Amino acid sequence: MVTPITSSSLAAPMEKSAAPSKFSVHVPASSASAGTADTLIEIQNLDFYYGSKQALFDINLKLDDKRVTAFIGPSGCGKSTLLRCLNRMNDLIDGTQIKRGSLKIRGVDIHGKDVDSIELRKRVGMVFQKSNPFPKSIYENITYGLRIQGVNNKARLDEVVEKSLRGAALWDEVKDRLHESGLGLSGGQQQRLCIARTIAVEPEVILMDEPCSALDPIATAKVEELIHELKKQFTIIIVTHSMQQAARCSDKTAFFYMGKLIEYDDTRTIFMNPGNPQTEAYVSGRFG
Amino acid sequence: MSSESAPAVPPFAIEKARTRLFGLTLDECIHAFFGGSACMAVVVLTLITVFLFREGADFFGKNHDNLRIYRQAGLEYVDYIRQQERDHTALTRYLSDLRLRTLRYLTAEKGLTVAQANARLAGFDDFAGRYGDAVEPVRGLVSDLTETATAIKTKYTVNEDAKEGRRQLLAEGKKDEAAAITIQDVDFKTELAPITGTLPLYKEASATFSKNLGEIVAGAPVLPAPELQARMVKFQELTRDYLATFPETLHALEQWDYAKPVPFTQAFTAFFFGHEWLTASFWQDWYGVVPLLVGSLLVSVIALCLAVPLGVGAAIYVNQIASPREQKLIKPAIEFISAIPSVVLGFFGIAVLGQTLRAISQVAWLDWIPGFPFAERLNALTAGCLLALIAVPTIFTLAEDAINNVPRAFKEASFALGASRMQTIIRIIVPASLSGIVSAVLLGLGRVVGETMVVLLCAGNRIAIPDFTAGLAVVTQPVHTMTGIIAQEMGEVVRGSIHYRALFVVGIVLFFLALLINFLAQKIVRKYRISIG
Repeated sequence: MVTPITSSSLAAPMEKSAAPSKFSVHVPASSASAGTADTLIEIQNLDFYYGSKQALFDINLKLDDKRVTAFIGPSGCGKSTLLRCLNRMNDLIDGTQIKRGSLKIRGVDIHGKDVDSIELRKRVGMVFQKSNPFPKSIYENITYGLRIQGVNNKARLDEVVEKSLRGAALWDEVKDRLHESGLGLSGGQQQRLCIARTIAVEPEVILMDEPCSALDPIATAKVEELIHELKKQFTIIIVTHSMQQAARCSDKTAFFYMGKLIEYDDTRTIFMNPGNPQTEAYVSGRFG
Repeated sequence: MSSESAPAVPPFAIEKARTRLFGLTLDECIHAFFGGSACMAVVVLTLITVFLFREGADFFGKNHDNLRIYRQAGLEYVDYIRQQERDHTALTRYLSDLRLRTLRYLTAEKGLTVAQANARLAGFDDFAGRYGDAVEPVRGLVSDLTETATAIKTKYTVNEDAKEGRRQLLAEGKKDEAAAITIQDVDFKTELAPITGTLPLYKEASATFSKNLGEIVAGAPVLPAPELQARMVKFQELTRDYLATFPETLHALEQWDYAKPVPFTQAFTAFFFGHEWLTASFWQDWYGVVPLLVGSLLVSVIALCLAVPLGVGAAIYVNQIASPREQKLIKPAIEFISAIPSVVLGFFGIAVLGQTLRAISQVAWLDWIPGFPFAERLNALTAGCLLALIAVPTIFTLAEDAINNVPRAFKEASFALGASRMQTIIRIIVPASLSGIVSAVLLGLGRVVGETMVVLLCAGNRIAIPDFTAGLAVVTQPVHTMTGIIAQEMGEVVRGSIHYRALFVVGIVLFFLALLINFLAQKIVRKYRISIG
């Protein structure tokens, strides 16, 4: 069995909790509760279309609460599309449609008629592939989510800014320049700022769409480390092209191919002992 | 062997092509054509600037002469006294306004008929009559002096014309004819004697005037309502203030000296800060740009106040909210507005908009709006509305571009944090594109300031600084603009005259105003590009 990740140099800067070289190392930390996690999100028979082109075929998936789930698969396999269905970001694109099936969070169908997509997005935050801080100060970036909810109490905002920045492991780096533009930060800092901005509104779920694809290895390591911290409080779903990252960060992994869910299991199983030959071919680097 | 096989290798042909036009290859011809076109723009701009300055520069010299003769011919002296008379006239207007108010009060509140009310006002009329007549001694003096001063000025002008004629004849070599022209230089001192000699007369007249006025005002009738009485007290105060200026005028007259040189800077200040644009007058021409500048700015501000919300609002709607079908309808419609010739818009303004606005202003229940009702069909508001129409396509197109340039990622991030569409637009999209929007507005302003036909047709063309004490109602007053005055008067002036040159200087002011606006707009756009990149 080929294990494509053992020689990863990316893992080198990682510290204690995610010791280098073996993707399986973090598992003990969460394994105690791995089997007992509750289902938070349930996707049933989902068919999704861009106009007349079908992008997702009959997806069935149960995602665990307070766990990290990774979506992997080659480009165009529908993993980002599924992710964007979870906070209805696809609504912003003309012609998108769910023709069949449902997406339920805590049993509530999030594409139901009475669902306010704005309320949904307050509960399901998102971090994008390319870091996209607003052209405002760091402080204003973090407080944006609260201000649009009408929170203007200075003391409360200050508190949230510090808490979020600490949560995103950015506080020590930026505490002296909170009122400078967020665009002045480095790429990795910008991405962590975006994460801080997302956790400031205290969502239940954080969706991450290839959050490290534009970052260098050191910045990537910091974000991954952060993911480990965040999963104590949040349910995280991460789309990634890097299998090492999926192996290092996630508890469960879903492999997609051509709009279909091929295999979904514990990360260890997917990488060590995949049940499907396509999965094995992909994780061992033979295609994709 | 090698020498025989060599010709078989094709030659390494890299020489320049043979076909040449005027010794240039095709590429070089194309290069020259494009280069020439680009140079042309620079050359034309330079020529226009040089021409403007060449034609306009002489104005200040001529204006200096104009001001000098104003003093030397004694016009200035007479104007001191005339000003006194004018101030008195202004006070009598206040008085007639007060009479009207009292009459209205008596008929409306006390229920008197107009005849009864007029009878009641007999005492007031007597008072007003005496007040008005008190100025007579001064008025008589002014009218005598006016004639004398005008005569001196005419004599000087005729003399200057004769000199000019002789110079031309000499230049043409006609010496005999030139010698036949007699020139008598005006000796201002002796000519002015009859004017300055009236000083004792004036002293006497103004003393009588002052004394009479003081007495008349002290015996002002008491008016029936406290509000009216307050106005009467105010009037008495104004009169006392007016009388207090008499010694000042007298002092100015005593100190006045025709030989005192006019500083050259005054030729500039009289233009840039002059409050009067008065041409082809029998008395004295004034070329003060302020009323025109204020008119232009007022009309532009009105236009922008209307065009900015419309243009920017439409841009936001089309870019962020509208469905693709709406976009397809709205965008061309707005851009089509800019295809309407401005003369057609002006025509529409006179025939439809002016009429309609006036009709609306006369609707009784709208009279709470400042300036309503108004009688002038053509005024700053009418012109401003049409100019807004001209500015909207410019602002809309550029603002839409700016909004379109806001990275999609900002919008997505905002939505992902639970912002509504409106919150995203107001808090993210607009701030991120603000500098682009501001420069769009500035370019719209440039378009509006330079627009001629509409203001010429619709602004009312009254050359006076609008009365800003009226508050917002100032927009309903007719104004004249810098562009309008050039278009209107350029056809009638004598080439090379002071008036002709004054119009050119107005053109220069306009040119610099437009330049400044464009410069600011470009600067802001550049800054904006950097901050987004």
